[in-house]
Amino acid sequence: MQSDIETLVHKAEEDYLKQSDIELFRQQAASMQKCLETYECLRDREIAIFQPIVEQLVKTYPQENPQLLEKVLKHWLSVLRYCAMAMLLKNPEYLEYRILEWLSDIVKAHQMQSLESTLYELLFSRLSEVLTKEQLSLLQPFLEQARTALLGTLEPSLVGG
Amino acid sequence: MIEVAQLLKDASSLGNYFAPDVYVQGDYEFGLIENRQGSRLIALPEVLLQAIYAALEKEVGSSAGIVLFNCGRWWGKNFYRRFGEELSKYYDKPLAHMEMVEFLQCFKQCWKTHGWGRIDLDFDYYQQGFAIAKIWDSAFAKIAPQENCPTCFFESGILSTFFSQLTGCDLYCIQTSCESMGADCNNFILGLSERLKPVQSWLKEGQNHTAIMERLCRS
Repeated sequence: MQSDIETLVHKAEEDYLKQSDIELFRQQAASMQKCLETYECLRDREIAIFQPIVEQLVKTYPQENPQLLEKVLKHWLSVLRYCAMAMLLKNPEYLEYRILEWLSDIVKAHQMQSLESTLYELLFSRLSEVLTKEQLSLLQPFLEQARTALLGTLEPSLVGG
Repeated sequence: MIEVAQLLKDASSLGNYFAPDVYVQGDYEFGLIENRQGSRLIALPEVLLQAIYAALEKEVGSSAGIVLFNCGRWWGKNFYRRFGEELSKYYDKPLAHMEMVEFLQCFKQCWKTHGWGRIDLDFDYYQQGFAIAKIWDSAFAKIAPQENCPTCFFESGILSTFFSQLTGCDLYCIQTSCESMGADCNNFILGLSERLKPVQSWLKEGQNHTAIMERLCRS
């Protein structure tokens, strides 16, 4: 359950919720609806989001071993899926424990940060095309969390957000 | 050309199997905990661990360490089997087909989720025939009685069998620094028992981990 709603549920134990709390609940419910729409969009357009990224990636790294490119793609297919769920749950810890903590050492060990960084930039740019501004703003904190965990202090050159 | 649709079919694209919120489950009201495969887990209260150390000290005196080391070896044998079974089922490939880095990451996460502390492995001495395991926040070191020698015998036993089974070589494991003696982490050396034989006497001489590694590499 989303932590904000959970807090309201606890508040309601002693008394009816105040009007300001009801308003907060209404906002949370509306935000949940938008998160669900964003989630569905990411789910239904997964291939449409990633296929142009593949083409761009292959153009940028024509000499690179395709297996390595596939590996990086698989990482970000998973990361985006987990980001989408973390957005629904409004829970950065879900993202941290379910994938980032585990994946960050794997990325470091493969010394693929440059490739991963390029893919992140392409992904962000692609999501800016596919999602509305509002949808992107819901997802962005989690994408940023993933970028920081996996790519550390590498400066994103294309990311506008 | 790489096809994303194909990648999605191949890629199990799974995350962290040992994520604590999903790995440890159970019916807390009935006092049952189990892992995500449904195998029972047991929680060891501090007082029980303290009692094990105290009772062994009373019953077998200075041999308590050997007893705990052998318990660790038995534990490690089963731990390796379960670890291999669970991972190969989840990631749909045998342990031998996993990349080393993935395997190590799973091992580190598994160790942490079981509440044994944080573990890392250092292969800088691989060419010399040794590997180093470092453990921080060891639950065993925390409750071990204060001694003038390292006391994480359980862990030494677990690590020796786990890596013996993994590598197919009969490896021994000896601890060279201990949080219970004020060290910042617990260092364990893994290697062939013949080569690790002198370490015990160097520890008695009061040599620290770095000095022991230098002497081992020269030997």
